[in-house]
Amino acid sequence: MMKADVDESERPVELRLGSKGTVIVLSEARLNQVRRVADTIWRAPFTRRTWAEFIWFVLSGLLAALGMAFVALSMLAGIALLVTFVGVIIIAAGVRGAGGFGAFHRGLARNFLGEQIEEPGAFAPRPGLFGWLHSALRDRAGWRAMAYSVLKLPVVLFGVWFAFSVWVDAFFCLAYPIWGAGAQRPPEFGVARNLFQPGYLSVGTSGFFHATAVFLTGVILLFVAPWTMRAVVYVDRRLMRVLLAPDAMTARVRSLEHARAQTVDESAATLRRIERDLHDGTQAQLVALAMRLGQAKEKLAAGDDVDLEQVRRLVDDAHRGAKEAIVELRDLARGIHPPVLDTGLEGALSTLAARSTLPTVCTVALDERPTPAIETIAYFCVAELLANVAQHAEASRSSISCTQHGRWLRVVVRDDGHGGAKLSTVGSSSSGLRGLTDRVEAVDGHLEITSPPGGPTVVTVDLPLHA
Amino acid sequence: MGDSIRVAIAEDSAILRDGLVQLLADRGFEITDAVSEAEGLRASIERDRPDVAVIDIRMPPSFTDEGLRAAIELRRRYPALGILLFSQYIETRYAAELLADDAAGIGYLLKDRVADVSDFCEALVRVASGGTALDPEVVTQLLGASKRLGSLSALSTRERQVLSLMAEGRSNAAIATTLVISEGAVEKHVANIFAKLDLPVSQSDHRRVLAVLRFLGS
Repeated sequence: MMKADVDESERPVELRLGSKGTVIVLSEARLNQVRRVADTIWRAPFTRRTWAEFIWFVLSGLLAALGMAFVALSMLAGIALLVTFVGVIIIAAGVRGAGGFGAFHRGLARNFLGEQIEEPGAFAPRPGLFGWLHSALRDRAGWRAMAYSVLKLPVVLFGVWFAFSVWVDAFFCLAYPIWGAGAQRPPEFGVARNLFQPGYLSVGTSGFFHATAVFLTGVILLFVAPWTMRAVVYVDRRLMRVLLAPDAMTARVRSLEHARAQTVDESAATLRRIERDLHDGTQAQLVALAMRLGQAKEKLAAGDDVDLEQVRRLVDDAHRGAKEAIVELRDLARGIHPPVLDTGLEGALSTLAARSTLPTVCTVALDERPTPAIETIAYFCVAELLANVAQHAEASRSSISCTQHGRWLRVVVRDDGHGGAKLSTVGSSSSGLRGLTDRVEAVDGHLEITSPPGGPTVVTVDLPLHA
Repeated sequence: MGDSIRVAIAEDSAILRDGLVQLLADRGFEITDAVSEAEGLRASIERDRPDVAVIDIRMPPSFTDEGLRAAIELRRRYPALGILLFSQYIETRYAAELLADDAAGIGYLLKDRVADVSDFCEALVRVASGGTALDPEVVTQLLGASKRLGSLSALSTRERQVLSLMAEGRSNAAIATTLVISEGAVEKHVANIFAKLDLPVSQSDHRRVLAVLRFLGS
């Protein structure tokens, strides 16, 4: 009946339907589309997905019934006993239990629906009974899982009426000619019963035609059932994604926790570096200095035959050591907090520009002063970026611009070097730019590098004006 | 002062290492080697067999307690080697580890002590000849951490001073000079302390130190 030439996809295809020879002309592409849809409908009752969804519906429905009973019992008992301390414990246990049901649902959904729902963070109660209660009652994931248990119930009830019943009716209708003739006539219940009021396709109540009509109804229901079930499961999927996955606030808390951990680590590392610098540098210098002076003192105390030449040498060394210690200490202090920052970013950045080995233009246009923490981050970003330019870019000039965009501070460092800079490769140390990015992101800022091969390299740092 | 005493130095800060070499050489010590890390020290001691090693606790590569670990190992291998640990900080744990078996030929001083050149050299000589030299800071910490505060409170102020100096490893003569009293008075105080703390009386200086340290540590 169909004539189709697959090779010439644009050629119209003629379809002759019925004895009258009604001709429908379709393009090959449209025909393929029709075929695909027909194919999908034809195969739907026999795909793995359809049956997985059916099993999911049955299992998760039973689980939801249990969950609902659990939630209702624990809440009722908890509220009834709220005047005593026991009520609080029961409610907290209810929240935890709901969380457990949620986890079970996530597992089922993963196995039967292939639905990958992100786990909310592990429950980490504070120590002690009160700590546990506090954590359990504030467990957002638990409360949301409880909401899911409650909302799941109408979905299940609707599903039983709208989808599960279609499957059951299809089954009974198909089986009717074999063993059900004369029995109560299907469809027994659900949406099918409501739509196909008693008659179905045949008016009679018995006989061959009646049995055939019921069987045909079963065939139709068999091809409808997967789709009604799919619709119900779709609603459930949406519900799970919203209620069983970490919510936006949890996600935000997580990212903040991550940023905080990085900041804490970084400040610990900074303190360690400063301690090391003080220990190996300044403290050693001062010990050596004290040692020289101690020697000189003892030599001078020796009485008449003082070796003045030796004492002079010792004092000379001590003097030089003292000056070196002062320089080291100043550099160290500047690394911790550059004093020039106290006067504002403008002065600090132009000092950096002036100190740079390349000709560097610096423009700063700010309406208000950022908080000191932001100024410090901006300063160290520019310092690090200029150091990178000097070391890696083989540039002839660079520029710094620092502007205000509403509540944001935008710092741009540009050079005319050979480009090709990447986050992983740039940096005076291997962690140079990586560390900067962490620092910037810790205050919700953003660092972006544009560095095509051949240059120019532009690094843009956006920071909130007030952290 | 340090006539013919042979010293090896392990100190990672170049400026301190050079300073020590110069200071000790000036005082008549013989410097066998001056190295910057523990590995080099082991080789150097194997080769030169010095009388005493001055070892910085914190050295490369990890900058934690390389010096201490090297000291404990050297101590096992060369029981006659005197060891003077030299550190920027005092850690009671280190002192306890080091003094676990024996206090003979062990010293533990803050680096600051080199400023008093004579005291430092004296301590080095003491360690080289099998004595003990503990930093006053170490003794203070040991006294503070001691569980025997009850017995210690029976001591008079002067007796406590004498006990501290004894724990540092000083001889009666040195204690007498420091406290500006006669040696006889020191002996009397020492006898009182040993009686009050119920310690066995001992003539040799380093045994005496050990008894006191055991008492404080137990």
